[in-house]
Amino acid sequence: MLASILASGLAVGAIYALIGITYNTMYATSRVMSFTAGQLGMLGGVFGSLFMLRLGLPLLPALVLTLACCALVGVATEFVAVRPVLKSLDQHLYVLSTLALALMIQHATALEWSTEPQPFPKLLGIGDGIWDEKYWLPVAACAATILGLEFLYRRTLVGRAFLAVAEDNFAARALGLPERNLRIASYALAGAIGALAGFAGGQLLLAFFANGALLNFYGFVPVALGGLGNNRGAVIGGILLGLFQQAANFMVGGIFSSVAVFAMFILVLLAAPQGMFGAPAARRV
Amino acid sequence: MSKTISRRGLVLGGTGLAAASGLGLAAPAIAQSDPIRIGWLAALTGPSSAPAIGFNRGVAWATETLNAAGGVKGRKVEIVTRDTQGDPTKAVNATQEMISQLKVHAIWGPTNSGESLATTAIMARGKMPNIHPCVVNSLIDPKKYPNAFRIAPSNIQWDDAVRGYTLTIAKARKVAVIGDTTGYGVTAANDSAAGFQKDGAEVVYKANIDATQPDMTPDMLRARNAGAEAIVIWSVSTGMIARMLNTRAKMGWDVPFIGHPSLSSGEIGQLIERPENWKKVYCIGYRSCSYDANGKLPPRSEELVQRLSGKVNLQDTLFWWVACGIDAVNIIADAVKETGSSSSDAIIRHWNTLKGWPGYYGEYSYTPEDHNGYPGKDVVMSDASSGRNGTFALAPGYG
Repeated sequence: MLASILASGLAVGAIYALIGITYNTMYATSRVMSFTAGQLGMLGGVFGSLFMLRLGLPLLPALVLTLACCALVGVATEFVAVRPVLKSLDQHLYVLSTLALALMIQHATALEWSTEPQPFPKLLGIGDGIWDEKYWLPVAACAATILGLEFLYRRTLVGRAFLAVAEDNFAARALGLPERNLRIASYALAGAIGALAGFAGGQLLLAFFANGALLNFYGFVPVALGGLGNNRGAVIGGILLGLFQQAANFMVGGIFSSVAVFAMFILVLLAAPQGMFGAPAARRV
Repeated sequence: MSKTISRRGLVLGGTGLAAASGLGLAAPAIAQSDPIRIGWLAALTGPSSAPAIGFNRGVAWATETLNAAGGVKGRKVEIVTRDTQGDPTKAVNATQEMISQLKVHAIWGPTNSGESLATTAIMARGKMPNIHPCVVNSLIDPKKYPNAFRIAPSNIQWDDAVRGYTLTIAKARKVAVIGDTTGYGVTAANDSAAGFQKDGAEVVYKANIDATQPDMTPDMLRARNAGAEAIVIWSVSTGMIARMLNTRAKMGWDVPFIGHPSLSSGEIGQLIERPENWKKVYCIGYRSCSYDANGKLPPRSEELVQRLSGKVNLQDTLFWWVACGIDAVNIIADAVKETGSSSSDAIIRHWNTLKGWPGYYGEYSYTPEDHNGYPGKDVVMSDASSGRNGTFALAPGYG
């Protein structure tokens, strides 16, 4: 039982962590919590199934196309739901605009794809039992994403420009950085990360339109637990959430496990309102 | 020889015509030649459209067949279809239009309980003869809704069939009852568990599972550890069912799954990891739509399949949907034929006298006190993975 809890807990935790990183990546350059993050994860599974099972493409082209399609959805999010409300961030209109876009994506998927879960193919055919690829692929994808982001942010000029905009976009603009283009690029990157979450977790979650709402919800928890904008916090928060959820599934059953998860979430936030790894925001006076 | 019409003759003739109209002599002549209008509330598009598409094939075929044979006592049958898209609001609007503007003689549908819950009272107020296949028990109440008749089993009949098979044929006395977290899943699982306990069986595990839960191992392990000898499923979620079947196979557990018709959905065939994971799964089915060990349907169903061959596609739908659609049109047409009238009172009065009316899907019987017309004995369990042209093999154990 412990092995099952660890295998499935780490797998779903890694998926939640990747969705948390998707939230953070979009937030970093725009200060907007975009509720399309979960839908990007859902689309990762749907596009993966579409390209591999329905269109018969091999793994690599299917993966690249999936990432590209979701990156485009990310860019569309920036244009449609984020840019128009950036001037009034304090009114939090982005909650409405990104939620509306998320609902549109979900309904369009239900109409055009299916309202029933569709199969997702085996990707590598490696492993069995608790070592089945459906358990370790999301973990591997999460690790690869963390390493890739670390490399991007620390070793590349574009990555440093991202960090500069995230730190202080007014100062970044004053230095001549193309803030708008960097924001678009970060939304494309977020789209690709969300897609990777859905693609790597496709065998576990299936290609199902309703996964969007689920991932939106559970992907937000690690962001809140780990501290807004903190990717390492999101990974740790996501993995802990996955393990706790699976343990609760085994101990108290499906419906009550959701109650247990959110009871713990509220308790953590009461104890540390800025999240487990977030610092209290300093206010300049 | 020519005749001229005099003014006196014209006045006399006109007066005579007016008198005849006043006495109602002209009206029957019109009524007997105008078409029999049947309102058809069908969710032909939208997420729950599969049943209505199947029903519609039967409706179209039955109507064509009746009209090709000259109609009903010379009256053509006319189907007035409204696509409700599975939306109760649209179903309500369409019902009101059918009653007040289109003046249909009877309504067939809606075909899902959510819509029917919204339209039943409206049809009762309009005294509109209504026949529908929805399973929710409360939709049939001859005192509140004397106009509403059910042409398919009720939830109670489904529950009885599942319990009967589990206890009598599968001989399982310890059962795990599992539903999803929808309103239907929770209610059906609770009713089912209560029924098993009432019959002396032990419900060793009962759960409602979120259909999006990715891993079913926890619930399956708990059911096995509790000693379940059968898993009873009440859910329309094919994803959840397929995950449970895959988990059962991984656990090496050969416990039978018994329950909701969704267990036989073609979607499950795509989601299971191996075809053998779908074995020992028995879903609610109907005797008229089940083939025996020799692959033969009951004679009347075989005859219908022959008649439909080349005209109605049965490969991507369920046979019972098509057969039920045919029966719905025929049972309305038959009421008009037998009574010679298409008035609401005549149709309802006639239906209340039916005993073993021979449809293709079933033999229906109604009385003024009972409008659940489908015979419970014909609700049987089918081998869920044996789908063939919309029909299924009888589950093992039936004589």
